[in-house]
Amino acid sequence: MTDNPDRKPASLLRQDARTRARNAAERRFRWYGIGAIAISMIALVVLLATILTDGAGAFRQTYLNIPVTLDAAVLDPKGNRDPAEMAKVLTLTYGKVLDKAVGDAVAREAIQVEGLTEKDIKGLVSREASAQVRNRVLAEPELVGQTVAFDVLTGGRIDGYFKGRVTMESAERDSNTSPRQLQLAQALADRGMIVTRFNWNFLRLADASDQRPEAAGVGAAIVGSFYMMLVVLVLAVPIGIAASIYLEEFAPKNRCTDIIEVNISNLAAVPSIVFGILGLAAFINFAGLPQSAPIVGGLVLTLMTLPRIIIPTRAALKAVPPSIRDAALGVGASKMQSVFHHVLPLATPGILTGMILGLAQALGETAPLLLIGMVAFIRDIPSGLPSGLFDPASALPVQVYNWTQRSDPAFIERASGAIIVLLVFLLCMNVLAIWLRRKFERRW
Amino acid sequence: MYDTNRRVENAVTPDDIKIQARKVQVYYGDKHALKDVDVDILDKTVTAFIGPSGCGKSTFLRCINRMNDTIPIARVEGRILLDNEDIYDRRVDPVQLRAKVGMVFQKPNPFPKSIYDNVAYGPRIHGLARNRAELDGIVEGALRGAALWNEVKDRLGEPGTGLSGGQQQRLCIARAVATSPEVLLMDEPCSALDPIATAQVEELIEELRSRFSVVIVTHSMQQAARVSQKTAFFHLGNLVEYGDTDDIFTRPKDSRTEAYISGRIG
Repeated sequence: MTDNPDRKPASLLRQDARTRARNAAERRFRWYGIGAIAISMIALVVLLATILTDGAGAFRQTYLNIPVTLDAAVLDPKGNRDPAEMAKVLTLTYGKVLDKAVGDAVAREAIQVEGLTEKDIKGLVSREASAQVRNRVLAEPELVGQTVAFDVLTGGRIDGYFKGRVTMESAERDSNTSPRQLQLAQALADRGMIVTRFNWNFLRLADASDQRPEAAGVGAAIVGSFYMMLVVLVLAVPIGIAASIYLEEFAPKNRCTDIIEVNISNLAAVPSIVFGILGLAAFINFAGLPQSAPIVGGLVLTLMTLPRIIIPTRAALKAVPPSIRDAALGVGASKMQSVFHHVLPLATPGILTGMILGLAQALGETAPLLLIGMVAFIRDIPSGLPSGLFDPASALPVQVYNWTQRSDPAFIERASGAIIVLLVFLLCMNVLAIWLRRKFERRW
Repeated sequence: MYDTNRRVENAVTPDDIKIQARKVQVYYGDKHALKDVDVDILDKTVTAFIGPSGCGKSTFLRCINRMNDTIPIARVEGRILLDNEDIYDRRVDPVQLRAKVGMVFQKPNPFPKSIYDNVAYGPRIHGLARNRAELDGIVEGALRGAALWNEVKDRLGEPGTGLSGGQQQRLCIARAVATSPEVLLMDEPCSALDPIATAQVEELIEELRSRFSVVIVTHSMQQAARVSQKTAFFHLGNLVEYGDTDDIFTRPKDSRTEAYISGRIG
């Protein structure tokens, strides 16, 4: 021990001020990190919870099970059961038949609700229900003249009542329903005539008009998105990978390739709506392709996805150690052999990951599709390939956008349901990307 | 200090010239990396290139099988003749050249494939085997030639990258040998190996000499003295001295060579 405190030998058993400050800084940083993770996890959970609670209803649907007397004199006036002749009977007529059936059913069950009007009874079933009945009768003409049990869609408000969206209080202020109607519906449900089932039609049917959210589905959107992904897969993936291999392995390094490189990076940063304008000008106005068609959407998304495939693919190729290229060239492989036999297999996991994430991004893209007319009201599911590529179609994210614009709150439920479908597809693609990366990952 | 038996071996060196380099210049961009190199490399001889780091010995080695072609900024002038044919002639395809002039690199770099496929790759792309049995024969011969056969014969299907460092390097030598080259270039083949693996590779080099000309770049002067019959000393891009290994190490003519081998420069 000396008198000078500065020269006192420091004990290892006690932290000095500097070490304490450094340790405190590290601890603080860890807490920042944990905080950041916590915030993002909470955001994710809230997002998923909101979408799932809002959208789960779209996968369930309420049906009214009633016997409908198909009066031959009304539905087949000529009496020859010819579907062509029967098709002349309008949906409106079927509506009247259905209204009578509902009225009869209510009367038969002797349900007593005070102040129940005819409008309340008619409003039980969806406007789409009469079309459902008509379609089935036209498909099976022999039903005419019989009394057949039908499962018809209930109206959007009734559907909402059984999913908890519509309450007696809200019905009081709603011109489209009334507490009396809901009481009637409840009474029918108690008798087992109104049932709620899994809604396969949500995945099968196309969009429906503003007044019948209960009949709207994402079928056309799924098919449209699928066709567009097919176009992107067939065009963007081979072009993107070929361009990357050429640029990375074969192209001379000069000013020209530098300019190309910078422009590819710039293209990846171009807002997607700009690609929509380009698609409108080039594919629809100039090339004359039809509006709202998956082929145009696919081409626009291809342009948008190309740089997003090229950049990760080049990174994956660059990550292959040069010693592998030297080894191949050293035993007398040609440039092409060294690339295709050695470099490409090693880069495969990275390329596949980039490719699938590029496709997933394209699947979720909305803005460019709005400009090429895919936001239109699509009533029919596109036909099979290849002609279906030119049929009007929607796409999942556009369908979501479309439904959120509608006034009926039932469409919010449908939009959330469509988001769930979209998220499931994206999740599948990401899982596929991870699986492929694991499968092809090799050490060197 | 060095093995005196070496002189006897030197005496039996056949003096037909395999590679003849005249006025070889290499530029990397503006940098003049190799200046006026004249050297005659003999067949069935081990030639060692020694010199301090950055002296151009690896650069010259890579000129011999035109691996410098893969570096965009590299430019080679002068003439290198292999069996009296200029390898920088416009008609020469470097791919064909590299089948004749094999190369082993500093770091073992087996392909991430099976041991068998590593060795069979060269013969396959050059069409050296007509059927599977012939290919099996070539692979076995190459692995035996690289003194690796006994260690791997039961696990030819396992990845080459799973071998130890020394085994990997011998696998790379087997891979180079499998294409039956006439010249084998080795760029510091032992720098990543431990002394035991180094001894095995050196023993191997001695055996390979009976079949072709071996050119080895090494940082270890002891290694050069042990394995080579001819030694070239490079310094700052110049070939300072070239001659019999014994002469270089015992009676260097140039003061720079003497300074280097006695440890004063480099």
